[in-house]
Amino acid sequence: MPPARAAIDPKLLEILVCPLTKGPLRYVPDQQELVSEQAGLAYPIRDGIPIMLAEEARELEDNER
Amino acid sequence: MTDRETASFGFRDIPAAEKAARVQAVFASVAGRYDLMNDLMSGGIHRLWKTAMLDWLAPRPGTHLLDVAGGTGDIAMRFLDRTGGEGRATVCDLSPEMVAVGRDRATDRGRLGEVAWVCGNGEALPLADRSVDAYTIAFGLRNTTHIDAVLAEAQRVLKPAGRFMCLEFSHVAVPLLGEIYERYSFRVLPWLGKLVAGDADSYRYLVESIRRFPAQSELAAMVEAAGLGQVSVRNLSGGIAAIHSAWRI
Repeated sequence: MPPARAAIDPKLLEILVCPLTKGPLRYVPDQQELVSEQAGLAYPIRDGIPIMLAEEARELEDNER
Repeated sequence: MTDRETASFGFRDIPAAEKAARVQAVFASVAGRYDLMNDLMSGGIHRLWKTAMLDWLAPRPGTHLLDVAGGTGDIAMRFLDRTGGEGRATVCDLSPEMVAVGRDRATDRGRLGEVAWVCGNGEALPLADRSVDAYTIAFGLRNTTHIDAVLAEAQRVLKPAGRFMCLEFSHVAVPLLGEIYERYSFRVLPWLGKLVAGDADSYRYLVESIRRFPAQSELAAMVEAAGLGQVSVRNLSGGIAAIHSAWRI
């Protein structure tokens, strides 16, 4: 059996904000991303660890905004 | 931030925008052996310094600690040892490699549920305003590009009456000790770094960055300027390291 995908800590999720705007984040479990609408960025979650660095984030496409 | 702004990287000045990436590279290089190197470099004394910081912090059960630049989780584990299973720690570090080492270690110790791990920059924390009871940064402030930005973020994420604590190498206050320490750190440490971690340059950086870091009173003034109150300083081992403590009012 493959190892279960490491889940993000729900208590951590409560206090996480976008490091640039300090605005809210939307958790997208399927893509393992945290989306900041205000910044137009999607922060990756790798192996359960959110990578909250703008330089590691993906820019949102127009249809995602 | 202007194009010409520079930051200290060891004894060299480099463009400020590059510092985070360079520091990230240093820690990616030494992550697996970081704690072992600290033991060898300080003869185990860094453990006593960390104990001194946690003694002063004296965490109560139920406290939520944010440990910034705490990649391998050393401070977070010690904190949890003192909160009787009712503490909560969040570790935020710039280096994914350091965080990975820390999380594996927490898993081995059965601490996984009590510590949350996040990769982030102390100058732009990904945490909400007033979200933690205590903020610690141990041997991390020196490696940041803008100390004032880190301190402002600490003030922002702390709850009112929250505690700020910084443990960092500092400036030796005892003349003869200063001379011996100078020789030890510039000659012995890079050699030791090469021997143990296979990386003399990274450890040379660490030594040089210590020399460039503000002295006790200067850092205390910066902490106060960030809006933190009741700032006090304790020297450790004659000022080789120092703890700065303050409160969010």
